[in-house]
Amino acid sequence: MDQNKQDEEYGYDLFPERKARKPKHITIRDSLFTSRNKCQVMLTFAMEISPYAKLLLNAMKNSGCKVYKDRHFSCEDCDGTVSGGFDAATSQIVLCQNNIHQQAHMNRVVTHELIHAFDHCRAHVDWFNNFRHLACSEIRAANLSGDCSFTNEVSRFNFGLKEHHQQCVRDRAVRSILAVRKVSQEEAQKIVDEVFDSCFKDHAPFGRIPHGNKDAKFAYREYVNRDRYYANL
Amino acid sequence: MEQLAERAWRPHRACEDYLSEFRHCRGFRNHFHHYYTYGTAPSCQQWKEDYHNCRKWESHKLTEAKDALQKSERRRLEEQKNFTPVWKLRQAPPGDWHRPLD
Repeated sequence: MDQNKQDEEYGYDLFPERKARKPKHITIRDSLFTSRNKCQVMLTFAMEISPYAKLLLNAMKNSGCKVYKDRHFSCEDCDGTVSGGFDAATSQIVLCQNNIHQQAHMNRVVTHELIHAFDHCRAHVDWFNNFRHLACSEIRAANLSGDCSFTNEVSRFNFGLKEHHQQCVRDRAVRSILAVRKVSQEEAQKIVDEVFDSCFKDHAPFGRIPHGNKDAKFAYREYVNRDRYYANL
Repeated sequence: MEQLAERAWRPHRACEDYLSEFRHCRGFRNHFHHYYTYGTAPSCQQWKEDYHNCRKWESHKLTEAKDALQKSERRRLEEQKNFTPVWKLRQAPPGDWHRPLD
């Protein structure tokens, strides 16, 4: 009874396969012809080709949290329209194979969740009890993953130009918190507003807000050359 | 000894990197995204100056060029850190990161 309440409180009911807590028996037929396979293939592409993902994976390795695809990623069926999540209890990134159908979307979800994983790796983030920490990571993930790019916002029919990126980051952070915690809209908004100024400026490990693959490639180049950078500072 | 350190110093980035950053900065896409994010136009002049200083150091080993570059990059780094973190940074990665799943 207690476990169910805890599951609901921390958003685990969005990820039913995770909630079951017993390993799912997978047959060869399952693994070859289902959305799980498509998810795995798209994930591999994202990890090898997306400069966002490559930078994050590199940064995590250097922070002592090397990411192994089989251990730290899990393709699962999820409820609703959620695309993915980061489970701090098992150190796993969940990808919702039933809600991710395009490579570009996969790239973005992988980046978003890797940012959470990176925060978990480099800081004492109290995911379950500290809403400010949760809000901060959500602000960073919305800001740096490309979630709030002009094109993505237009495709959601959110038309805005001047400083719209910031508004989008606030809104998506609030939505993410509401999806996984039982708080009111006002409370979530208040927490996001409290930490926004600080967390919006935290661009680690990118060093900038990457607005597209070219930005991300420049950020990756900068990251790869950081030894030379700091040696000559 | 100090002369050795001077000779061993080289610019933080390859000079072409400064040039490509400058060109990227002043392009339309970057202007658009900067306005979309901050509501203002980006300032790209610093990248251009850094490129010229980088070139000056490579050709003539001018101390002023080196000092200007160091000042510029230190300022750039400071701007990146210009916020109060919400959380405390770890000294070591989380112990259960590699723990096998049940």
